[in-house]
Amino acid sequence: MASDGTADDSVKLQILKDALYDEIKQHGSETRLFTQKDLLDLNIIPNNNVLLLVRVVQGLTDDKLLVGTTNHHAGLAWRWRSREEAKKYTSLPNDETVMVYSIIDEAGADGIWNRTIKNKLNMHEAVVKNCIKFLETKGYIASMKNVEHPNKKMYIKATLRPSERATGGPWFTEGELDTAFISELEGIVFEYIKTKSAYRGSHPHAGGGPASSSTSATKLPKKGTVTAATAAPDTTTTTTARGTKRSATELSTDDTSSPAPTRSSHKPRAVFMPMPAGYKHYPTVAEIAKFIHDTGITNNTTLGEADIQQLVDVLTYDGLIESVRVGRRRGYRVTRAMKQDTVPFHKRQKEREAGVGLDQPLVAGAEPLSNGLTEAPCGRCPVFELCEEGGPVSPSNCVYFLKWLDLEDLPAAVAPNVALPT
Amino acid sequence: MLVTKPVADLCALLIDELHGELPSRIFAILLSKGRSTLPQLVQYTSMTPRQLRHGLAVLQQHNLLFYHVDPGAEFAFYEANAEHAYNLVRTGKILEMIDSSFGAPAKDVMQNLLLSGQTRISDLVAAYQEKIEQANKEAAHVEDDDDFGAEKNGVNGDSHPGKKAGPLVKSTAHLNSIICRLVEAELIDVVHAKTFESSQDILKTVEKEVMDKYFPAGVKGNKAKVEVQERIAEGLRKVRGESKSLKRKLEQNGTAAKRRKLFAGAGMSNGSHDEDMDPALDPRQVIRINYEKCLVDLRNRRLVQFATDIFGETSAYVYGVLLKLLTKDIPRCRADAAMDFGEDKEESEKDTVSVTTDQILDNLKTSVDLSLGIGKAERRQVSSVAAEKIELFPPKKKLLIEEAEVEGEASADEDEDNESSDESEYDSDYKAPTANGTNGVNGTNGAKVKFDESAAPKERRLDRPTQLRQHLLMLAESTQRFVRHCGPNEWTVDFVPLMNALREVELDSVIERTCGRQGLRLVRILRAKGKLDEKALPNVALMRKPELQQKMLEMQTAGFVHVQEVPRDLKADVKKSFFLWFCDVDRSLSRLLDTSYTTMTHCIQVLEALRQKERDVLETTKRSDVRGREKDTMRKEYYERYSRFLECERKLFAQVMRVDDLVSVLRDF
Repeated sequence: MASDGTADDSVKLQILKDALYDEIKQHGSETRLFTQKDLLDLNIIPNNNVLLLVRVVQGLTDDKLLVGTTNHHAGLAWRWRSREEAKKYTSLPNDETVMVYSIIDEAGADGIWNRTIKNKLNMHEAVVKNCIKFLETKGYIASMKNVEHPNKKMYIKATLRPSERATGGPWFTEGELDTAFISELEGIVFEYIKTKSAYRGSHPHAGGGPASSSTSATKLPKKGTVTAATAAPDTTTTTTARGTKRSATELSTDDTSSPAPTRSSHKPRAVFMPMPAGYKHYPTVAEIAKFIHDTGITNNTTLGEADIQQLVDVLTYDGLIESVRVGRRRGYRVTRAMKQDTVPFHKRQKEREAGVGLDQPLVAGAEPLSNGLTEAPCGRCPVFELCEEGGPVSPSNCVYFLKWLDLEDLPAAVAPNVALPT
Repeated sequence: MLVTKPVADLCALLIDELHGELPSRIFAILLSKGRSTLPQLVQYTSMTPRQLRHGLAVLQQHNLLFYHVDPGAEFAFYEANAEHAYNLVRTGKILEMIDSSFGAPAKDVMQNLLLSGQTRISDLVAAYQEKIEQANKEAAHVEDDDDFGAEKNGVNGDSHPGKKAGPLVKSTAHLNSIICRLVEAELIDVVHAKTFESSQDILKTVEKEVMDKYFPAGVKGNKAKVEVQERIAEGLRKVRGESKSLKRKLEQNGTAAKRRKLFAGAGMSNGSHDEDMDPALDPRQVIRINYEKCLVDLRNRRLVQFATDIFGETSAYVYGVLLKLLTKDIPRCRADAAMDFGEDKEESEKDTVSVTTDQILDNLKTSVDLSLGIGKAERRQVSSVAAEKIELFPPKKKLLIEEAEVEGEASADEDEDNESSDESEYDSDYKAPTANGTNGVNGTNGAKVKFDESAAPKERRLDRPTQLRQHLLMLAESTQRFVRHCGPNEWTVDFVPLMNALREVELDSVIERTCGRQGLRLVRILRAKGKLDEKALPNVALMRKPELQQKMLEMQTAGFVHVQEVPRDLKADVKKSFFLWFCDVDRSLSRLLDTSYTTMTHCIQVLEALRQKERDVLETTKRSDVRGREKDTMRKEYYERYSRFLECERKLFAQVMRVDDLVSVLRDF
């Protein structure tokens, strides 16, 4: 009788359990917390019998279908877990593994450090290791990398994708900052801003232009230095690099302007020109984001406006673009428009594929300004602080200066090990 | 000017270069030991008083020395004038500037003045007279018998190419006129007794005078203190004004331009006309070069170059004209704190010297095509309200560029609410006052543009004043604030914030050239955000952590960024401490300045080393039979070495001048 009663009771309990579980699932997602009152209000338990509820909930918890938690506001509460998940729990061989798995489960998308697991469970390291190994081979958990702590071994449930915080957002792939992706995208964004914020026109180079009439009067007396700078081979590596590139581009496109204008050519060259004051169409971040989205360059990563803003900020800090406010609109425009490269980005890209100009930065920008200091060997000298007349390194025995002055009659053996820093 | 060791070295080298070793050694001693008397100098240098007097005389002649005689004292105190010694570097630049704005004859006069130091006008005139007579004689000679003269010319051709064309200064009257013009431009001023006293000494004497005269009973209370300062400033200004006495005298007769207008009317083409009208100068006056004013002009050129870098040549040309007009009456780049006390208050209202669009238009070369160098945008793409915004007051204090921008435009937002809907109305409202305003010409032009537009909105060709305005507005809109639109059609330049921006640009370019673009990025992030934790940096800069740390260390050694360690608790565990990076622009700039001085020193030292190396060649060229015709007399191999040396010398001096460009931006402008 008694046994029959219990059997009958367990059947009833099972029915109640299923009913309650299904009803809970109807009422919210896996993250929702149900308090005791919530459960009673579902009207599954007859007569609001608390004792019965306790038994039903206990049963469900044993089946891993409900997870008990304590909440600050509501006290004890439960949330439900899917049957597949519960099955994973129940299929685990021992309690240790269950505990480890549940801790990893709780950590969610952020993942958890294996040392934290050990400390939380207060178990022996070997045990934890075993459990983790078991779970990993089962395919329940996976190891992951967190960008904030790249050398900590972290674990996450295999079904979850690591959170933004752990992966570092769209700029990271596999825990590493994807600099190639970033610079490529920077290049595109910069090109977009450049073409949208400056006027592409031609600059006549014949005698009438201001280039000839005014420069002679306004230029600083630097004729001598210009020759000095170009005569010295290694002072401006970028210029020489540009030079090689120019010769290559002239083959493909005739109207390409070169950053260093060739005064002898009389045909107009294409240049970018700054827009008149009050121009209202400098691209905004929203527009840039839309452009990036529309082109579909980033097919597997979605970039929000905040991400683009980050990119644009970096370009601003690089001094390539600047923000302008016209009225209420905050747009961005290219700096030093006249000095910009007029060859379109995709053409440069092709060149790069062909192996030309690989040493150039992807985001070309204008040639950085220079002054007397950076041109002289001293401005970039690694031993500047030591250099003194009478010391081991002194201006009178300076190899950099000899090289700069094109006086390389120094013994050849000395030259290679003191090559100029590039 | 703060005299650090690099400056002292540099000054000594410069004096050595130009005036020889003796003055240079005395100068170096004076710099290192401070003001000294002759007996002290004898002790320091172990030279004889006779040698020392020679050296001191040379220094004195070139205004490289201050002296002070206490009443009743036996010996004068000598003090080095490091500022003028440094200015020697700028000789070439100043000459070039004079050449381009006053012509070759003025340059010639200036060159002589630079070579001989302060000179009495009569001496200068005498020297020129002799030259002119000689030239005339020679010319006559050439006419007499051709072949002989030609040969002689051929001989001298290398060293005096100008001789064939006759002397640059044609007559003493011409010379007189040149000096007058330079004096009026304040590029030359008069030497007086106080010129030879250091500013501290002048301050002391003026202070004493003021105290004796107005406050014999001592100073009590804040009001009196202010008054004392005002009186001192007044006294100092009076001393300063003395050197302008010649200019004032000239102005009493009306300025050169006025005189020309009065007499000549249309006959401006005739140069000799002017010369006769310039008053003869007192031959006893001693004149010298006024470096302060020269610096103002050099600053203009630097700013024009800066504008060229940013906007291109046409806008920069416009800017140059604007600056020239604006700085005509600015005597120096930086105001002196003690001297200009009290002047500030009076001048804060009238200080805003401004130039109108018409004035600029009148001074533009007709050959310059203003339609160049600026993009074309359709009218509806341009918000004229935003463009024409007038800023009556200079920016209050130095902010970060971005912040300033936000603040500046915050107010503009409000009155721009109705912009989108009825901009054209708003626009015409706005332009109305200009049409009625003082400058009628431009006003009507503006109206005409509007008229044209309504008739044929697409086929419009902007007239010149509008084009000019476009350039000016663009300059005003720039983040560097080249120009301030301070009233309808009035323009001014706030030099202090602009020069700060330029200094920052110079620093940035050094950083970019030495530490790459990523280095620049990091520095600018720090500048914008203030102190930043090491952990926060990679996210903002989008850089890998190890690379970033390496870059930061590199820049720290270079002095561009600095780090501060903030312990989390009392134990100050390094692992737990915060590391805050920051960048102190002023510190970086002063370090940059010292680096620049050292670089200049190095250039000159390298040159000295080269001279040592090529000693034998150079000695040959000093021989009187070789000098002037090196190419013919020297062996080929020797001549090649010589010409290569000359080229190196040119390069090195050019380099020194280029570095000086940086120094002037950092220190003087």
